[in-house]
Amino acid sequence: MNKSKWFFTPVLIWLGLFLIVPMLIVVAMSFMQRDTLGNVVYSFSWEGYKTFWDSLYLGIYWDTIVLSITTTVICLVVSYPLAYYLANSSPRVQNWGLILITIPFWINFLIRTYAWVLLLRTQGVVNSLLIHFGWIDEPLQMLYTKGAVLLGMVYNFVPFMVLPLYVAIEQIDRRLLDAASDLGASRWKAFWHIALPQSKAGIMTGSVLVFVSTAGMFVVTDILGGSKSSMISNIIQAQFLGARNWPFGSALSVIFVLTSLVLIILFSRVMKSRSDRTREGGNV
Amino acid sequence: MKRTGLLSMLGVGVLAISLLAGCSSKEKLHIYSWADNFNETVISDFEKEFNVDVTYDIFANNEDLLAKIKAGGGGYDLIQPSDYMVETMIKNNLLEPLDKNNIPNYTNIADTFKDPTFDPGNKYSIVYTSGVTGIAYNKKYIKDPIDSWEDLWNPAYKGKVLLLDDNREMIGMALKKHGFSNSTTNQTEIKTAVDDLKKLLPNVLAFDTDTIKQKMIQEEGWISTVWSGDAAYIVKDNPDIAYVVPKEGATIFSDNYAIPKGAKNKALAEKFINYMLDPKVSAANYEAIGYSDPNTKAMEFHSETYRNNTMINLSADELNRVEWLSDVGDSLQFYDRYWTELKSGRE
Repeated sequence: MNKSKWFFTPVLIWLGLFLIVPMLIVVAMSFMQRDTLGNVVYSFSWEGYKTFWDSLYLGIYWDTIVLSITTTVICLVVSYPLAYYLANSSPRVQNWGLILITIPFWINFLIRTYAWVLLLRTQGVVNSLLIHFGWIDEPLQMLYTKGAVLLGMVYNFVPFMVLPLYVAIEQIDRRLLDAASDLGASRWKAFWHIALPQSKAGIMTGSVLVFVSTAGMFVVTDILGGSKSSMISNIIQAQFLGARNWPFGSALSVIFVLTSLVLIILFSRVMKSRSDRTREGGNV
Repeated sequence: MKRTGLLSMLGVGVLAISLLAGCSSKEKLHIYSWADNFNETVISDFEKEFNVDVTYDIFANNEDLLAKIKAGGGGYDLIQPSDYMVETMIKNNLLEPLDKNNIPNYTNIADTFKDPTFDPGNKYSIVYTSGVTGIAYNKKYIKDPIDSWEDLWNPAYKGKVLLLDDNREMIGMALKKHGFSNSTTNQTEIKTAVDDLKKLLPNVLAFDTDTIKQKMIQEEGWISTVWSGDAAYIVKDNPDIAYVVPKEGATIFSDNYAIPKGAKNKALAEKFINYMLDPKVSAANYEAIGYSDPNTKAMEFHSETYRNNTMINLSADELNRVEWLSDVGDSLQFYDRYWTELKSGRE
């Protein structure tokens, strides 16, 4: 018992110093004020939170959440079949598949995002090929659109979804599926009532990872979206640099963390009640 | 100014380049500046001549510089803030006054670049490079004569206009278009400019500062707001591009030498500034970095191509209609809010 306590001490100190303390500083700063020069004035104020309550910032929050949920859903739809296929393949295929999925992580994600610019721009690879084969006459404007931003997000975060899903599906007891088919369930029915509910931990983890990463991302909107749409992280970054309004930036960060927490809790509630219902249904 | 290399984009942030490895007892000069902002040969010549070590760290934008200096300096002897940042740093009491007796070559600087509004009498700073934000356009796609900011609004260029991703520069541009100061604190004027910029949005392909050069070279955009030094860079790679300083006037910017408060080696920093302002050294340095040389005595040592480059050497007529950006104090909040509206398409 004592031994394990010592074992965890460095981790706890690390988290305390580099996660909890900075978070507390951010919370404290969010209740302060800015002076004319952009310095933080150490006196209490609700100003940051009041400023947020404005259709402009609320609207950007809404846009961010919509984009993050869309990205999460697309990642889930794309990743589930892949993870399912991998988990049910031979060990050799599984190993190769996992290596292929993780290889992009060896390259800095900014470079991978810039690679999309080379592919999608007007004189880029895709347009050149399409024109070469005579399918289009004028280059398509694919870059600097909302679609390009969504593509960049999905591309970057698919591995975050595939890996947890793979782990969850891989652990499903195959005998249950065999039993289901022995008892006359169709493959689809067996999947729906057995595999899917049992992989919900993977769905949950993957979705939270993708959602939080997307909502906190600001470079993809800049590089692939031409900075024409703002996500809340872009606004937070601007407050800490150009606008020199650290208290407002901190308030936005605190609201962002709280919103994410609430959404994640709601999501896990929904997932839980779903599986309860499925279980009840199974009993009937 | 604000020329960020790919490295800094990659979040490397501060990359220390030790020009002379190993530790020695030599005097050390610590420089904190933009990426690729010096001719390295010139720096190593300085090291040899004065028997010192120079270290050169880089920052990606003025705000990073401000944050670092505010937090305690980082041990730098010489920094290179842009115009408005010099003003902000003076107001924050972050700079040492320069001793001009140690910088006799200061007199080589052209009068245009002396006594700027952001630092009257050059008490704290001396200009290093400068340029003007104008319009670059591709003659292959644009046949109409371009001489006004209004041209960016031409519906024929829908989806082909590139703007700098810079709040003060772009709102400042729209302010100049309407004949106002680019640093106005008058809310009605700011609103007029911003409403006009909203009408420009359908034409905008992208907002970009760091890679706007590549977007013009690759002909993704036809027409854009660019810094004159960047225009020179673009034309080298794509000769179809032309550059113009619009008739309504434009924003002039500069990077400057300054010494942060409490610098350990102020005298050496001043020696360095003086060395860099030597006509021959100056010529060698600016030839390499391709920005405009404010040193009048250096002109005779510059190459023919450099002297004839109209994007590096702006005409007196062009320089007559430029204005510096200045610190807008609390109005920065309006600028930021309007900029957020423009970039998010919400209100």
